[in-house]
Amino acid sequence: MSPIAGAAATAPRSRTGAVRAGRRAPDYVRIGLWISLFVTLVIWTLPLVFIIFTSLKTEQDIVGSPVFALPLHPDFGNYAKAMEDGNLLRVGTNSLIIALVKVPIGLAISAAAAFALARIRFRRSRILLAAIALGSMVPIQVAIAPLFQIINNAGLLNTYIGVILPYIGFGLPYQTFILYGFFRQIPEELDESARIDGASYWRLFWQIILPLSRPALAALFILDFVATWNEYGMALVLLQSQDAWTVPLAIQGFQSQFTSSYGPINSFTIMSVLPVLIVYLLFQRYFVSGALAGAVKG
Amino acid sequence: MTAAVPSAPAPAPSGSRRRRRRSGFATALPFLAPALLAYAVFVVAPMFESVRLSFFEWTGFVGAPQEFVGLKNYIKIFTQDAVFWTALRNTVIWVVLSLIIPLTISLALAVALNRPLFGRNVFRSMFYIPGVLASIAVANMWRWIYNPNYGVGESLGTAFGLPWLSDIQWLGDQKIALYSVFAAFVWQSVGTNMVLFLAGLQAVQSEHIEAARIDGANAWQVFRNVTLPALRPTMVIVTVLTFIGSIKVFDLIVGMTGGGPAQQTQVLALWSYQQSLGNHQYGMGNAIATVLLLITLLIVVPYLAWTARQEER
Repeated sequence: MSPIAGAAATAPRSRTGAVRAGRRAPDYVRIGLWISLFVTLVIWTLPLVFIIFTSLKTEQDIVGSPVFALPLHPDFGNYAKAMEDGNLLRVGTNSLIIALVKVPIGLAISAAAAFALARIRFRRSRILLAAIALGSMVPIQVAIAPLFQIINNAGLLNTYIGVILPYIGFGLPYQTFILYGFFRQIPEELDESARIDGASYWRLFWQIILPLSRPALAALFILDFVATWNEYGMALVLLQSQDAWTVPLAIQGFQSQFTSSYGPINSFTIMSVLPVLIVYLLFQRYFVSGALAGAVKG
Repeated sequence: MTAAVPSAPAPAPSGSRRRRRRSGFATALPFLAPALLAYAVFVVAPMFESVRLSFFEWTGFVGAPQEFVGLKNYIKIFTQDAVFWTALRNTVIWVVLSLIIPLTISLALAVALNRPLFGRNVFRSMFYIPGVLASIAVANMWRWIYNPNYGVGESLGTAFGLPWLSDIQWLGDQKIALYSVFAAFVWQSVGTNMVLFLAGLQAVQSEHIEAARIDGANAWQVFRNVTLPALRPTMVIVTVLTFIGSIKVFDLIVGMTGGGPAQQTQVLALWSYQQSLGNHQYGMGNAIATVLLLITLLIVVPYLAWTARQEER
């Protein structure tokens, strides 16, 4: 991806700089920097380490040993218990279905809108773009109570569709804004030659713009999958029956139901973040380029 | 710059151009319609409804009467609702701290990790990890870390014989609870901002840095006079994203304190939610939501206007 390529391109140049500076003062600065970064990283990792340790300890060990003590006899009982008590398979399935339906549909709708805004000239398109962009910046809590009423009146509380539709609505502005920026970077000469060949806007969209935007679409897909999996505020209001819960609701529910079962609580948290961690580790470069897409808008 | 391309081919009479533009919207509509519909129904409509309901008294139950009360809800939240003021104060504290502490740490990390260092990519990936976790999961992790009986403070205090450390009620002490929650936010948000800054640093010309060094500038002077100015656009983006993210803080507070102890970690987003859906005071809840909306617009609209002007250049 481009950011990584960019980093690689600048690295050798700055290295020569460092060597030149290093002639006066040997690399103590770099070593000191590395050590302080390492210490910071250790501190940054500790919370996760504590959680993992606790999840592997029996109730007795948790109460009897300090939180940073290694689990000398790792015990996976907490995981089994958490999986069962927390109904993890059920809520995991809910979250997965919601994300897998919401993300592609939302992305398709956003891409179509971004295409129209970036490529078809019409009056007030700039104002429309600004109005949509504004939506990505307004906190959902501003609309949450009326949203509950809308979904309730439609009889869609505790249903997949009742949470997918608002998710699409609230996800649109950001994705449209980012894709608009991306589409604008594709040279317009392509449009003209396509239209001279008699291609309609639909074909232009499907066969030229979308295929060229694959990197941006992939990045947004991954980022949106994670965001949807993690969403809590709207789900809290719209999914109230336990069977309809998504993973974040189940984490919070587990915590309040089994207040002092520290082992199972922590193993439940770990299991709940595993899918996202795996997605992150597999598609790391997309997180970087997705973030970059946002930064490009400056 | 947008207009330059279509007007170039032929100096068409203005009448026909207008017709072409109107048909332009007709062409665009099929592409726009699904997005506009979803946006209007699930974002814009509830927002307007929120503002409307802030002038009414309503329990929120279907069929219950909505009584128009004018500005009464606003007068109530500003003059009689002590929790509203706590929530407003905490929201302001939260936003200001968010703009200072995590941003400074992530900028420092980005500058450090922009240099060629052993294991640089591992550092970058590891710092980013907390940012992909659900806030509610982060909240529950930190709740355990802060556990008054078995948490980190207690364990350290016991290990080093420091009873005062063991005695700190991280989430139970009214004076520090908000800051304890904030620590979790710092942990979570630093990595994301670091990546944005790293992306921005790619735009800093290494020739400029080299030139400054040759002119005898020290590391701080290079940072202050070359790197920082070049980072300005990124800085604006990160600041705005941080503002948007911090003004709506909700999950972390719900997961760690629920607004307690004694409402001392209450924030606007949570208090609005609790008033509407918990206490069935839709009028008050939506008045708080409207205040939150106004504060957001006050910051975001000038920013959007600024970006639009930048893009026109």
